[in-house]
Amino acid sequence: MIKVNNVTKKYGSFTALHSIDLEIGDGEFIAVLGPSGCGKTTLLKLLAGFMGPTEGTIAMDDTVLASTKRVLPPEKRNIGMVFQSFALWPHMTVAEHVKFPLSYHPNKIKEGKKELQERIDEVLKLVGLNALAERYPSELSGGQKQRVALARAIAPLPNLLLMDEPLSALDVELRMEMRKEIQKLHRETKASIVFVTHDQGEALAIADKIVVMNQGRIEQIAPPEVLYTRPETAFVATFVGKCNLVKGQWRNDQFIPAIDLKNVWPDLGVADSFKESGLYPVRPEQLQLMPAESDGLQGVVSFVQYQGHEIHYTVEVGEETWTIHESVFSSRFQTGDFVGISLKNAPVQEGSLISS
Amino acid sequence: MTAKQPMVEERKERDSSFSLFFQKKNLYKVIGLLAIFVFFLLPVMRLIWLSFVDDGSLTLQYYTEVLREPATWKTVQNTLIIVAGSTILALVLGVLFSWIVAYVQLSGKRAMQLFIFLPFIIPSYITTLAWTQFFSASGPVNAVLSWLPGSLEAPNLYSIGGIILLLGISHYPLVYLFTVNVFRKIPRELEEAAATSGLSKKRAFRKVVLPLALPGIASGGLIAFLSNLDNFGIPAFLGTPANIRVLSTYIYEQVVGFGPSAFSRAAVLSVILGIIALAGTVLQWFLLRRSRVNETNRSDLTPRIYLSAGKQKLLELSLWIFLLVTSLMPLITMGALSLISAYGVPFNLENLSLRNYEYVFLTDSKPLSALTNSLQLAFFTMLICLVLGTAMAYLRFKYPDWSTKAAELSMTIPFALPGTVFALCMIFMWLEPIPGWNPGIYGTVWILFIAYVARFLVLQVRGSYTAFLQIDPSMEEAARTSGAAGWVKWRRILLPLLFPGILSGALLVFLMALTELTVSSLLWSSGSETVGVVIFGYEQAGYSTYSTAFSTVLVLGILLGGGMFMLLGKLWDRKVLKNK
Repeated sequence: MIKVNNVTKKYGSFTALHSIDLEIGDGEFIAVLGPSGCGKTTLLKLLAGFMGPTEGTIAMDDTVLASTKRVLPPEKRNIGMVFQSFALWPHMTVAEHVKFPLSYHPNKIKEGKKELQERIDEVLKLVGLNALAERYPSELSGGQKQRVALARAIAPLPNLLLMDEPLSALDVELRMEMRKEIQKLHRETKASIVFVTHDQGEALAIADKIVVMNQGRIEQIAPPEVLYTRPETAFVATFVGKCNLVKGQWRNDQFIPAIDLKNVWPDLGVADSFKESGLYPVRPEQLQLMPAESDGLQGVVSFVQYQGHEIHYTVEVGEETWTIHESVFSSRFQTGDFVGISLKNAPVQEGSLISS
Repeated sequence: MTAKQPMVEERKERDSSFSLFFQKKNLYKVIGLLAIFVFFLLPVMRLIWLSFVDDGSLTLQYYTEVLREPATWKTVQNTLIIVAGSTILALVLGVLFSWIVAYVQLSGKRAMQLFIFLPFIIPSYITTLAWTQFFSASGPVNAVLSWLPGSLEAPNLYSIGGIILLLGISHYPLVYLFTVNVFRKIPRELEEAAATSGLSKKRAFRKVVLPLALPGIASGGLIAFLSNLDNFGIPAFLGTPANIRVLSTYIYEQVVGFGPSAFSRAAVLSVILGIIALAGTVLQWFLLRRSRVNETNRSDLTPRIYLSAGKQKLLELSLWIFLLVTSLMPLITMGALSLISAYGVPFNLENLSLRNYEYVFLTDSKPLSALTNSLQLAFFTMLICLVLGTAMAYLRFKYPDWSTKAAELSMTIPFALPGTVFALCMIFMWLEPIPGWNPGIYGTVWILFIAYVARFLVLQVRGSYTAFLQIDPSMEEAARTSGAAGWVKWRRILLPLLFPGILSGALLVFLMALTELTVSSLLWSSGSETVGVVIFGYEQAGYSTYSTAFSTVLVLGILLGGGMFMLLGKLWDRKVLKNK
């Protein structure tokens, strides 16, 4: 269990993190999601111990890892880390990369050479590199380098595995494959994982819990589906769900869009903060386009983008511009078409999603 | 509760030791900055101070005296003409070569680069010696000219023109070094954008390429300017026989002349030299004031201009002729003429002998002891610079704050100062480190050692700093999250990656210290002669054949060492870093 307690980090006059509180349970897979400059890398560096907090403490189980007074350096923490650029040492073979932490990490192999070799083989097998043990980094492909970086990080079985955008240097196909690989490693090593990313799809796909950060603050902490369907802040709604924030009035748990007062939308699980500010976050796939003569809000299509599996429409509705995603099997519209828009009546989400 | 008690106490204890460490850290910082001040800044201050002081009272007497003499103005005029001429020559040659190497499709660029650097590795006084042999009565130039019809004579190198030519040839590699990567880093899209906007190739060069290359050209020009101003060997070898003085040789003459006010007059001349150097730096700053350079561009090694096969062959041929004539031929001539028995006799089989070598290495004891001195000085200077310079580079890399920046800037001063001026600074500083106390450093080999370390340290700092910049910080971070700290981290991860960069810095320091002339010509004493001083001594006494013999051995040694270093670097790259 790792506890980040009221941590603030300042660089001179710039505050990178504003009083962050975070708990990471044993074996939990957490994704830290946010745009560049949101403080997610700073949080990771604090967890690793490359620097200390300006205020607050970080504790693992019952020992304090970092406070304003003292910072336990990374080499004394029970952690592993995977870097964005892989950070492989050009002068070491794949096997030597795995052997390195097994010789120096706090969890190093204290038994004999035989156990050490067994563990190296075991780890290499786990990441599927046993055939390449004697290769050097310059002789490996991007995906293989990534596997070496993972193998090095998990070899000493650290309590906490930190990953700094580990997939961003790979191409799309490989990224999908490595997602599964990381999930598999998580299942088999049972380490807690903190996975930093700016890709919301990646975060939704692999994490147990997502921490959304913006401008040095935590916006929301929730499991992927809750985060996606029930955002609590405007930032989470737009960054994770790409929501349209529709202005209007809330009356008795019903929403009346300001553009056309004849419409009434039911509450499909909107957070209280939106109700107070008179907004309804609608995800692009929650809206539906119909011919202009039908009921619903009226708008004009300004852009049509064919995506293969769906079609993205940009629609001008009064003063607002909405994004609407439609299936390729629904009726098509052209740029300049007048359309009617309605909210798909998705069933109200049950509470079971919230407290998992 | 009771169980937790000792832990709290332990923590308190550690806290106090931590804060003690922090105080210690500040203490080290103060001591370090103080040492840097004493070794690098104070000597310069004392030189300036001495130019204003006579018998303990402030005076402008020396300034009025020196500035009234017509000889001073003649010297300043010579200096300005020679420096301007040679800087322009170095710029034209350097920029031309760097543009051709960066832009045009040529074969054998790597070998060409080696020959461009050759005059840079060979000390300029040896180059000068080689050129005087090249143009001498029994040299190949005169042989070719006499064979041609008409009564052509080789130009006289002992003239202002000769000094300009040799300074230009010796320093154009510096300009090349500063500009070749600037040309390579100009994104080719920018030229393509100019072309699609309707600019012809020539106009695109003027409007796009040249403005973007200007920062590199200006810094290369500044370095060439400072080196031309600083150079002592070439004007001393070529100017002294023809009675042509520049500031650096004039200062030398003042100091060795031992007049009653020699040091003070030399100090005044040094201040004048310093002002000229400063003016050049300001000019460069003025040129660069408005330029913005994108540092992140990657250098593009593929050529952008393809010539027809015939034209390409012709260009290659003319470049090679130029390179061989300017760099290799004079050295070969020197080697050949060192084998003739007496100066001026024709070069044929009967006159060949090893007599000069026999004299230099067996009869005269000075060259061998000078070689030992120079090798020892160079080795220990390299060792001290290697440790201090790399430590300084690490601090500079790890804590880029005002204190490390100021420290690096201070270390640059002794290297940027003209050698004669710096040597004077050393005399004033170490003759009596504390006024009234002479520890006997001046007049021994120790002052040379201190001067070399102070002068060349910045080369190692820059070399090691570049090496640090080239390894990604995540390399070290990965080592630490894998549990390695302290010595293990350095031995297993950082040093193997840093080694080539650090070594090339160390080699440069070694080479510079080994062949140094300017500083040692003022600081040597009997028993602590250096290689440069001995060759200079032979030359002044008119023993050209001895100096050529000694120089030939040195050149062979340098080439051998350089070749071994390149081989070692390649092996390291392939065997340790696995680069292909």
